[in-house]
Amino acid sequence: MVGPSGAGKSTLIRLLNGTLFPTSGEVRVLGQRLDKLSAGALRKVQSRIGTIYQQFHLIDNLQVVHNINAGHLAHWSFSRSLISLIRPMDIQTAFNALEQVGIPEKLYERTDRLSGGQQQRVAIARVLVQNPEAILADEPISNLDPGLSKEIMDLLLDLSYRSGKTLISSLHAIEFAKSHYERIIGLRKGRILFDSSTDFITESMINSLYQGRN
Amino acid sequence: MQKTLGSISVGSVIEIPQRPSFFNRRLMWVIIFIGGLFWALLESGIFQNELINTGGITLGLEFLTASINPELSREFIQLTLKATLTTLAFAVSGLFLSIVFGFFGGVVASETWIKSYTIARNDQDLPIFVRGLWLVLRWILVLFRSVHEVIWALIFVAIIGLDPLSAILAISIPFSAIIAKVFSEIIDETNHEPLNALLNSGVSPTKAFLYGLLPLTFADMLAYGFYRFECAIRAAAVLGIVGVGGLGYQIFLSLQTLKFTEIWTLLFALFLLNGLADLWSSILRRRLGVESRCGGTCIDLEAIQTTRKGVDPSYQDRVVKFSIIFAAVLVPLSFWYINPDFGILISERTSQNMVSVGQSAFPPTFEVFSLGEWIDLSKITLSMSFLAVAFAGVIGLILSFPAANNFLLPGGIFASGREKNAPRLLATALLVLTRGLLLVLRSIPAPIWALILLYVLFPGVLPGALALGIYTLGVLGRLMAEVVENLDERPLLALKAQGAGMGGVFMYGALPPTYPRFISYLLYRWEEIIRATVIVGQVGAGGLGRSLTEQLSSFDNQAVLAILIVFIVITFIVDMISASARKTLRAA
Repeated sequence: MVGPSGAGKSTLIRLLNGTLFPTSGEVRVLGQRLDKLSAGALRKVQSRIGTIYQQFHLIDNLQVVHNINAGHLAHWSFSRSLISLIRPMDIQTAFNALEQVGIPEKLYERTDRLSGGQQQRVAIARVLVQNPEAILADEPISNLDPGLSKEIMDLLLDLSYRSGKTLISSLHAIEFAKSHYERIIGLRKGRILFDSSTDFITESMINSLYQGRN
Repeated sequence: MQKTLGSISVGSVIEIPQRPSFFNRRLMWVIIFIGGLFWALLESGIFQNELINTGGITLGLEFLTASINPELSREFIQLTLKATLTTLAFAVSGLFLSIVFGFFGGVVASETWIKSYTIARNDQDLPIFVRGLWLVLRWILVLFRSVHEVIWALIFVAIIGLDPLSAILAISIPFSAIIAKVFSEIIDETNHEPLNALLNSGVSPTKAFLYGLLPLTFADMLAYGFYRFECAIRAAAVLGIVGVGGLGYQIFLSLQTLKFTEIWTLLFALFLLNGLADLWSSILRRRLGVESRCGGTCIDLEAIQTTRKGVDPSYQDRVVKFSIIFAAVLVPLSFWYINPDFGILISERTSQNMVSVGQSAFPPTFEVFSLGEWIDLSKITLSMSFLAVAFAGVIGLILSFPAANNFLLPGGIFASGREKNAPRLLATALLVLTRGLLLVLRSIPAPIWALILLYVLFPGVLPGALALGIYTLGVLGRLMAEVVENLDERPLLALKAQGAGMGGVFMYGALPPTYPRFISYLLYRWEEIIRATVIVGQVGAGGLGRSLTEQLSSFDNQAVLAILIVFIVITFIVDMISASARKTLRAA
């Protein structure tokens, strides 16, 4: 999804992961209307959707392993979650996830001591542990420099291909949208301006998204 | 197994990193805490003695039921109103003097001030006596604030007699020292570039401070000054008990004559006064853009955390303007209402008394107690304070989340966002209830709590510890709720978005970022509780505090000085322990 600030990209992602509900109309996720579900059923659907954020949204003063294990929370019992905070459980899974994102040696590091790129990798590892059916990424690279952006985009794409998970991202950088995605949706002022395979995206379509601003 | 340097070749197996040892410094503190708690419980006799006084339960129930039926006769309402005004006036005038003294003390005691002299003199080393003088000043501030207002009041009564001025000074001395400490930290943490620019262009330090630094600190200082208002009201109420008058005194009188309905009228007045002060200061702080200024309310020291949310303090704001004008009216009115005789300060009798009180206290007689007795007394004081801290900490932690406005309310972290009216009402009710409870707990002075507890408990360490713990819980719960309200909610929402339940969000999202602040507030309060053990002596709580009040009433000033010295040493030790624990906390 591409579009200017305020187009509704983040709002759409929040509608999809069940942290926001529509005031009119309906949203169906994995075949279910989120606003009609009970709290427990909603959590069940939510556990099948992973989200990655621009600001990472990790718990700063926890060790990396706990932040990754937070991906289990929807399934773990209360006591298991509590014990794991004292003595980390399922280390092998956490380690494998961290290995996939390329920083296995950081397992016991405090999360806020990592760089921005490393923190985004931890956030991705958390989603891997959660093992959802679809991954939503809300501006995953807006806080990273171009080199790191490419690494993170490659990583996300690679994981999505290998595991067969749907990947939906909102992006500011059109060039990454073109280079990494098969389908691009242009949003503007809360409406879909175009929805097309990347091959058919033209310069004028992109321009139409941003014209009339300033 | 192969490890390559730098890059990892495909197919290589990397070992899982070694888990850091379980036995770290944090665990050490946990063990110390649990051990300390156990020791304190043992020391309090909780395992041996009969604790609950079943004979007093009917009296306790009578006291509670009287709450729905407070005394509302015309004369008594008038009396309550007068007492409320007295307490308010003492608080306002005491706080006003404290802010004035604290401001100058804070400037002079700040690191920045002494450094600006070095810059102005273009000289790295200060004359040794200036540096020495500065250190002495900072030590005096520590001494001033480690002695409780009640003790100061008794000292001033001995020197200047039973004038209202004694009470005003008793509030001002420790409050000035605390405010000076906090102001000096505000000054030291403010951006120094404008100041240095002026100093380097040859402006004298005083003028440079006036133009280059103080304007920047104004909002913070104003916010902190108002923040102390609620504390000053509580201090004034406690002083009432030693005979100054006001709400504390009236409550004490009614309590002794068992007029429960009267007590409740007075208590409601106290709740209202404290609640309004709290409301005012929190609105003002928000308007000034200074949120969660600093911690421990009555002793906060390093707890300053400037978390300005990018708001430029607008002095044009109506609330701020009104507050300043209101304060400007309130201060002279308060002084007029109490009518303290400042002339006493320069009278000959006062200076004679001062000399004679001073002489009567020297040399301190440590022989009043044997070494074993000193140790026993210190043990009781320590265990009492420790029990109080543990009680306030654990329950404060539980209450702080429902008391915060960003958890259960609609739009809050634990709200699903789809609530109908019923849960909203329920959540609001819970918020109002917990906040109200915390307000009630902290509004009632600790000595009054101690006396109330004596209806159902036998005299001893336990009622003393509980009284201090309940009161501290009221202060701490409110502070902790503020920490929770300033939490970055987005990581928690991220956990919620992936389907984590309330327990998981709480354990993984809410606790980790808040508990270090909770613990450091708790540690600051520990010092304050040690200070306050002197005011619960009357319930047979024992310890140094009670010996102090006993020796004070028998005018054995040499013994008083000896106990004060031991007291201050203990405060220092506690301060050192808590500083060391805080250091571990920051590093972990």
